[in-house]
Amino acid sequence: MTDVPVDPPKWRRDFPYTSGGEDEVTRREFTRYLVLASGTFAAGTVAVAALASLRPINHGKPQPIVALDDVPVNGTHLFGYPTKDDPAILVRLPGDELHAMSQKCTHLSCVVYYRPEAQHMVCPCHEGVFDARTGDVVAGPPQRPLGRIDVEVRDGVVWALGAQS
Amino acid sequence: MSAAASRGRAVSSAVGVYVLVLLVLQVFLLTVAVDALLGDDPGLAWVAAGCSALLAAGSLLFERFVKG
Repeated sequence: MTDVPVDPPKWRRDFPYTSGGEDEVTRREFTRYLVLASGTFAAGTVAVAALASLRPINHGKPQPIVALDDVPVNGTHLFGYPTKDDPAILVRLPGDELHAMSQKCTHLSCVVYYRPEAQHMVCPCHEGVFDARTGDVVAGPPQRPLGRIDVEVRDGVVWALGAQS
Repeated sequence: MSAAASRGRAVSSAVGVYVLVLLVLQVFLLTVAVDALLGDDPGLAWVAAGCSALLAAGSLLFERFVKG
């Protein structure tokens, strides 16, 4: 008995895929998945932007921090503002300049400390350096200045008036 | 395979890679938007969202050039 070659049926000629190949993804399908993912990322980014716009920012209410005499010249006082959970730092520079700012580094939110010899705020995590007067970035990876807090002295007591946006 | 078909496959592959690059840029823009959210900077977040939407529109446009 000899094997006679048999022509494949018409349906096989019209659909020349085996069951293993049916799971394959065509380029068009793959690109469509990518476009779908692209749309999802765009929607996610818009949602984050909307959240950033709608999120209330607590600038804080005026509240006393510390007696001025308790803060040494070229020294600091740590406090919480606008809430107790938000670390902030008050620095008294020579010449009785008072400046307060958020203690959270704008890079990755490590806590900054005051370096009196250079009059800088320094983040120990990645060597971010900020100006103690303005909060502006002097060196390191942070891209934004520290959050400033307005302060004034009332009857010998330093008051926080509100965080600047 | 004819030259035209071969060229079509090459264009499709190039478009796929290009859309993939746009997608990577969108991941970066999403991180920028989240950073802006945490830094209370909605303006920057909206700029990132606008750019991301533009890239998504570009991806949709390029998808039309894919054959097969």
